[in-house]
Order: sequence, then C-alpha cells, then structure tokens
Amino acid sequence: MKDAVADAKFARSFDSLPAIFGFTAQAFARAGVDPAIRQDVDFALEELFTNMVKYSTGSKADVRIELMPIEGGVEVTMTDYDVEPFDVTKAPDADVKLPIEERRPGGLGLHLIRRLLDSIEYEYSKERRQSRITFRKTNAAPPGLARA
Amino acid sequence: MLSIDKSPDGTVVISGRLDAAQAGAAQAFLDKVEGTVTLDCRALEYISSAGLGVLLKTQKRLLAAGGKLRLSGVSRHLQDIFGYSGFDQLFEIEPLR
Repeated sequence: MKDAVADAKFARSFDSLPAIFGFTAQAFARAGVDPAIRQDVDFALEELFTNMVKYSTGSKADVRIELMPIEGGVEVTMTDYDVEPFDVTKAPDADVKLPIEERRPGGLGLHLIRRLLDSIEYEYSKERRQSRITFRKTNAAPPGLARA
Repeated sequence: MLSIDKSPDGTVVISGRLDAAQAGAAQAFLDKVEGTVTLDCRALEYISSAGLGVLLKTQKRLLAAGGKLRLSGVSRHLQDIFGYSGFDQLFEIEPLR
C-alpha cells in the first residue's frame, strides 16, 4: 500500500481492541475521513482481527494494520504473519432466517462484513506464510456486495 | 468503554462500545436480569458480533422462562446491523426517535 496515513502493529490479543479503535479514530481525524463510516471500519477490523487471534493460534507475530484514505472513504490492509491460509471471502453466510431456538451465538462476523463493506479481498503468500486482507469502505451507495 | 446499569424504572441502560473485549462484562450483567426487560440502546455507539452473541444468549434464556428482551432507542446503524443479522425477527426493536 502506498502513502498509508496510518500504519501500526498490534499484539494478537483481544486486549488490543481499544488500541485498534484509537488507531482508526486518530487516522480518520488526521486524514479528514467521513466519521460516519468509522463504525463499519471498526466493525470489520474487530471481526477480522479477532478471527486472526482465535484461529491462528500458532503465530506469535503482531498483526499489521495500514489505513489509506481513498475517494469518499478508506482502504485498510491487515497483514497476518506466520499463519495458515484462511480465505475470509469464501466463508459461508450465516442462516439468519432460522428460528431463535436454532440460532447460536457466533458466525455473524464475516456475514455482516460482506454487507457493510464496499469490497474485501484476500491474498496468501505460501512462501512467506502471510495472509493479507484488503477492504474498502466509502460513503457512496452500496456497490453490490451481498446485502440480503 | 462500556457502561451497563439498571435505571430506577427497571430499564437496563447500555452505553459505549459493546465489542469482544467488553462482551464478558455485558453478559455477566445480563445473566442476572429476569422477566421482560427493556435495553435502552440510545447511547450504544457500537456493537460487534461478540455483542450480538450476548444479546442472543440473553434473549434465548429470557424467552425460555416466559420473558423477553426488548431493544429501545436503536440507531439507524444498529438497525442495519440487526437487520442483516436477522435480529429484527428475534427482538422487538424500537427505533431511536
């Protein structure tokens, strides 16, 4: 990513969440990004970051987050080191039409991200054992990700 | 930060950010409520899937005992999250006016 307005690494722990939210708040303010989209950016960051913490337990490396302003919003890249591949764009949607007796907590994070973001891409480098997720969020009209 | 407390009229007032780091505290509080409970969400700035799990678990427990959890003062953003999650079919939701 070029010209990231903010670039930081975070320890793989839920305790890093306040620092991540502080990071986005500062970056949004510094770059003059529309604060109305920050909740969705924080939501995506939290869901993706906590997935990395929960499921890539073999890695001790920090997670890198870069944020760059784009027209009407931001592009965010998260890099996870020393991990197995997990393509977040291929995870199945949750069945949100189930009756409450059959609903179980969990499984909504990636389902919701696909509806809140403009785009999300996943790359994996086998040589470097590195996952890279790039997502974009703008204040423009929804561009066609799943909304139902 | 997150704050959750019961007001004198019995409404539970939640404010701040209900994220994965705060979900345990919110769940511990809501595990103690009984009957039909209104959760005032006017000052709830943010909720993640961990927070949605807290609400779902509470609703399942209360419904099983003949009560329920109602959500009031729900912002446009939270309405979107609840709608995409199917929670608008599981909870009585009163939008923020």
